Parts: sequence; structure tokens; C-alpha cells
Amino acid sequence: MIRAQGASTDIGAIANLPLLWVLALSVLGVILLQSGVYMVAVRKNAAGAGMTEKEVFQAFRAGGVAAIGPSLAVVLVAIALLPLFGTPSILVRIGLIGSAATETASASIAAGTMGANLGDATYTQDVFLVALFAMSLSGACWMIATLILTPMLSRGEAKLTQVNPALMAIVPSAALLAAFAGLTVTELPKSGYHVLAVIVSAVIMAICLWVARHRHQPWLREWALGFSIIGGLVAAYLATN
Amino acid sequence: MRTYTPEQDALFADYTRTTNRWGRLTLFIGFVIATAVPFIVLVTTDLGVTLGQVLTAFLAVAAVYGAFYVIEPVTYFPILGPAGMYQAFLIGNIANKLVPSAIVAQSTIEARPGTRKAAYAATAGISGAAAVHVISLLLLVGLLGTWIVSVMPESITDVARLYILPSILGGVMVQLIATLKQPKSTAIAIAVSLVVVLLLVPNTPKIVSSFAIALCVVLTVAVAWFLRSRGTVDEDEPEQEGSLIN
Repeated sequence: MIRAQGASTDIGAIANLPLLWVLALSVLGVILLQSGVYMVAVRKNAAGAGMTEKEVFQAFRAGGVAAIGPSLAVVLVAIALLPLFGTPSILVRIGLIGSAATETASASIAAGTMGANLGDATYTQDVFLVALFAMSLSGACWMIATLILTPMLSRGEAKLTQVNPALMAIVPSAALLAAFAGLTVTELPKSGYHVLAVIVSAVIMAICLWVARHRHQPWLREWALGFSIIGGLVAAYLATN
Repeated sequence: MRTYTPEQDALFADYTRTTNRWGRLTLFIGFVIATAVPFIVLVTTDLGVTLGQVLTAFLAVAAVYGAFYVIEPVTYFPILGPAGMYQAFLIGNIANKLVPSAIVAQSTIEARPGTRKAAYAATAGISGAAAVHVISLLLLVGLLGTWIVSVMPESITDVARLYILPSILGGVMVQLIATLKQPKSTAIAIAVSLVVVLLLVPNTPKIVSSFAIALCVVLTVAVAWFLRSRGTVDEDEPEQEGSLIN
């Protein structure tokens, strides 16, 4: 039993419990197990689609190579988040359904309900745990929805696509814009350094997206968030030191 | 459409059965392990976190993402098929990693979309992407990242901890505005956020400020819906994929 005061800000003491490492590695193991079983199924039944063994391997390799760039971009963001959540939680949250932006937003919203901010003196062990709960339960909802909906969709029963198209076009994007606008505005009054980090990050993203489009460098889209985060942190470091 | 022999149909049925059964099982195990993480922390430490705090935090998050829990599976199903669904919603990174990998795999072996060969190619391609995903996380984040953080001077990790959130948000905000291309909703969202966060929160009790982001979301959706351009719906609306987040 680890004795911890909930008011302590030593996140590392509880974020690196050995059991969490075991769970994080198991999660990655489950992904490998799934891919392994799927590959065996494809190879065994390839003839069912007139597909050769060589084509199966080619498809596997092509998919893997295509994923290298996006994976490295995700790694960059994940490492920047390590001081906030510790390695095991990052591996589980970034390794499974979700993305860096989704998870950080969830954690920040969760901390907000306790009147706390991620990373500063109010970010206690209690806040970390509540944020971890909120991220995990939110991720769980996506998985449960998929487990329930996929068989229904396979049988053609779920006709959710027939809901009002205007509603579908407006509500999700308005919700996303509002959540991130709200979170961003919340950062501004905290300090001039926060304002600086937001602005530098936003400017770098704008430049990356402009270059990606007008100079036809699509890879830059994947890397843009990583560069923006590094830029924002470097600016904050230079300003505070 | 080419026709298949009964033997080939049997093989494809076997593939469908295996991927469905194992896909469901592995996604369920992934769900159980990932959801267990916070409970493990709860029972192995003596933190004073209450059920009420957890529920409040979850509700605030669900107010933002609730619609996506249902919309994303429904939207991705026609693209991924049942086998790919269980892979995609286990691994995440669907739009930026898995779907591109599936498409590259299909075009590499020249499989026409909608055929069985395309389904196989997508499964193999996503499996390849999954392998790269796991290896990169294990080596570069699990080993290298942990080491980097441990040797990094405290002044740097302190900055990373304090300013990671504004550094992410500035970029994500611009990315969202650029991808969604919804100037009206963007303007409403920013205006609502300024009012709620800067005017309402400092002048209201904690019960309001706790739900500030949820309030931003509800108000923005309501105003955007009320001010929507009626009549010419689909013409100017962006692709639905633009507003997916996984």
C-alpha cells in the first residue's frame, strides 16, 4: 500500500506504479495479439478473394510503412505529455482509442471541475486521478459504442445516418470548436507566458498548414501539432528563464 | 463484380467469423484493461477521490464528446467494415494513421474498393500500421521517452508540465478552424467562450465555473443551430470526416 496524501503534487509517485506498467504493456500486447490473429485469418483465407501470399505481405508492409510518419508525430506529442501523466498512463491513453488533443482536453476539463489546472500547483494527485478517470471513462464509451453498434450496423439495423443531416453537420463541429475555444480562452488570463505559448503554437500551426497546402508538403500536416507544441514550449522556456 | 466459387465463399466466411469473434474479444479485453487503470490507482493509494468528483468530471467531458461516441462508429463503418472497426476503435488514430494505411495497402496491390481483396488488403494494412504503432510507442515513448524525461533538467520538465496545455491548444485551435471551415460556428464559439470564461466564470459560484467548458459547448451549439443558414444545407457543408476526432 502506497501512502499518499491526495493534496501532494508528486504525480510521479502514483503515476508510475509497477502494476500500471504491467497494464500498459498488456494493452500494447492486446493490440499485437489482435493484429496477429487478423493476419493469420487473412493469410489462411486469402484464396477466398483470389489473393496471393505475396500480396498479403505487400499489403501488410505498405500499411506499416505508411504508418511510420504519423507514428513518429504521435510519439513526439506523447513524450511532451510525459511529465504531466507519467509513462504508463500515456501509453494506455495514446496507445488506445483517442488522440493527444482529445485526451489533453478531457484531462483539462476534468481538472476544471475540481477548480484545478493541469501542471501547476493545483494539479494534485487527486486531480490527476480524477483526470485519469475522466479520460479512461470517455475512451471506454467509444469502445462500448463500437462493440454495440458494429453488429447492428453489420445487420443493417442501425439507421442513425438518417438523422437530420443539418443537425449532423452543425452539432459535432460546433461542439468541438466551442470546447477548444473555451479551453484556449481559459489559458489566457493565467499569465503572459501562457498567452505567448498559445500564440507561438497557433502561428507555427498556421505556417505549417499554409506550407502544406501551397507548397504541397502533405507530411507537414501530420507533424504540424508536434512542431507547434515544441515551439510553444521553447518560447515559454526562453521567456521564463 | 467477379463471382466466387463455393470454396472461396467458405474461406471468406471463415475470415469474417474469425475477425468478428477475435475482434470483439480483443476490443473488449482492451476496454477492460484500459478502464481498470484509474481503479488500480484508486485502490492502491489512499487518495480522497469521491464518486461524485469522478462523475462530475466525466459528465463535463461527455458533454463535449458524447455525440462523437456514436457518430464516429457509424461514420467509419462503411469505410472500415466490421473487421476494421474492432481494430480502429482499439488503436485510435483512425483518420491520421489507420485509414491512410488501409488505402495505401489497397492501392499497392491494386485492390478495387468494395471487393473482398480490398477488405483483406485493408485488414493487412491496418495490422502493419498497428505493429508500427505498438513498436514506436514501446521503444520511443516507453523506453526512450522515460529516459529522456529522467535525464532532462528539472527546469525543462517544469516548463513542459506548466505550458504543455497552452502549447497544444493554440495549434489545435488553428487546425480545427482550418479543417472544419465553418467561419460562423468558429466566430460563435470564440465569442461564447470569451463571454463565459472571462465574464461569467469570475462572477459566479464554483458550480458554474466547474462546467464552464460544457456551458461553452451547449451555448455554442444552440446559437449555431439557431443561426444556421436554412434551405441550402448540403451545398456548402464540409465533408463529415472533417469533424471526426479519432
